[in-house]
Amino acid sequence: MSGQNARTRSRARLAEDLKSWMIMLPGLILMTFFIWEPLLESVRMSLYKTRNIELVRFIGLDNFISVVGKDDFLQALANTFSYTFWSLIIGFALPVLLALLIGETVRGKSFFRTAAYLPNMLPGLAVIILWSSFFSGEKSGVLNILLGRLGIPQQSYLTRYEWVIPIIIIISTWKGAGATALIYMAGMAGVNPELYEAAAIDGATVWQRVFHILLPSIRKLAGTLLILQIISVFQIMYEPMVLTKGGPDNASLSLMQLMWQYAFGGSMNYGKASAVAVIVTLILLVMTAIYSYFNRKESDWD
Amino acid sequence: MKQPQRTGVIRDYDMHSASVRVGYAVVILLCILMVILAVFPILWVILAGFKDLKELIASTSIFPQSYDLSRFATTWAQLGIAKNYLNSLISVVGSVICALVFNGLLGYGLGTLKPKGYGIVKRLVMLSLLMPTTISIVPLFMNIQKLGLSNSFVPLWLSYGANAMYVILFVQFFESLPASIIEASRIDGCNPLQIFFHIVLPLSKPICAVVAIFAVNAAWSDFLLPYLVLRGGELQTVMVRLFVFSTDQTVNADAMMRSVVFSMIPPIILFFIFQKQLTENTVSVGIKG
Repeated sequence: MSGQNARTRSRARLAEDLKSWMIMLPGLILMTFFIWEPLLESVRMSLYKTRNIELVRFIGLDNFISVVGKDDFLQALANTFSYTFWSLIIGFALPVLLALLIGETVRGKSFFRTAAYLPNMLPGLAVIILWSSFFSGEKSGVLNILLGRLGIPQQSYLTRYEWVIPIIIIISTWKGAGATALIYMAGMAGVNPELYEAAAIDGATVWQRVFHILLPSIRKLAGTLLILQIISVFQIMYEPMVLTKGGPDNASLSLMQLMWQYAFGGSMNYGKASAVAVIVTLILLVMTAIYSYFNRKESDWD
Repeated sequence: MKQPQRTGVIRDYDMHSASVRVGYAVVILLCILMVILAVFPILWVILAGFKDLKELIASTSIFPQSYDLSRFATTWAQLGIAKNYLNSLISVVGSVICALVFNGLLGYGLGTLKPKGYGIVKRLVMLSLLMPTTISIVPLFMNIQKLGLSNSFVPLWLSYGANAMYVILFVQFFESLPASIIEASRIDGCNPLQIFFHIVLPLSKPICAVVAIFAVNAAWSDFLLPYLVLRGGELQTVMVRLFVFSTDQTVNADAMMRSVVFSMIPPIILFFIFQKQLTENTVSVGIKG
């Protein structure tokens, strides 16, 4: 009797699981179509010679060899690392600082938070076009107007080889730093203010409280945001595409932009474009693996 | 007026020290500087929209000579932006509906129903969060072409039904719902779909609002996939149009500045209506993420 009961129960359970999977099915189909299948497909395509949207024949690693052998690939690879480097220099600490500053304010805190978040709402494309007139080399470029008042002569900022990547990073930092600061503020709010009280009674100065209580409290969050930042900067594409078209002389060409050029820049070489995408994916995977290795080590210590 | 409580590192009695008071003044000044840096470029582009081409190229003043709104109206009419606005609206509405329905149901399965084997899917979704979609845009575009869905909003709408971040937001919310409510309605004989529509959904307004606001803004700002799908056709959205302007130089700089303003108006309006939800919700996303 009881065995039969268990069987009916497990059959009921099975029917219920099936129903649950049916509910999830539409979402799963879309995930497969828009994310998972294309990711696998790009690996397959990178191994084929393509003509328009047809796979012509299997050619092994030829796409990779041909892509990597070109000068613009090495330049784009170096540039992409340069983007990442500058983004860490300019964009990593700034949100922490903003969060710290806004967190200390008493009156007007919500106003400051709102203002910090505002640039993040604007469409990325509009932001790039808007800033292009700031850095324009014309005498009507906003930076030339402002710095001209300080007696600094007219400059052409976006055609300077060594400035173009930092400028693009400044623009994307302007857009994103405030929103990231709000995430840090949430992390900082997890600290009980009584801890600061206690430390103060023990004679800790304000700076000591910042360095020994506040900053340690966001260390883990900072690690997570760091890896997310690296992953997203590594895929930088439309910013240089719109602002500089990769120039001057490929100085701001990024890997993903190179992918876009292969696919949609006229030659429609989807195989080679996929090869670039696969290389970017592999680099990102390696970076994520390194991060999670160190992260695990750190939690062991804790 | 009641002084709000200090929640930061600086405590009330620190303010007795002159050096802390000076430090606090510096903090406020830096915050004000931040506000100026955040707002000035936006104000500038609006002011620049009032200039005509000659003024925009030659003038070294931030302020325009006149505030003539008819220049905006002229550009709006000449470039036919109204049609692009309508297209953007259709694209955004469909995207938001897809974002809520498909990610919501998947999140309900992974967060509440948890059928056998759901763990693998959950891990796959988490992993997709780390691999944003630009990387696979080429094969995705080919798939869309093969299905003959170019020049249609359908693939754009559906692409918002496959967003790993929204799914995870839903999962985290549904996991926080008390299991007893769902168990009780199950015993009362509701099937999972009834439970979703009658019990879970009414409780989920906050998370639906968050996902909807994010999706509105993302769908409005999106232009890479929309450009590939809609280029050359009648269905171009505002951002696709702006992207086309930015790649060929046929549009004058002054019309360009006004188009940038047009593209920023809806997000800014959305921001001022929902600023509270936005600034607070980023926060909760942050803690969980």
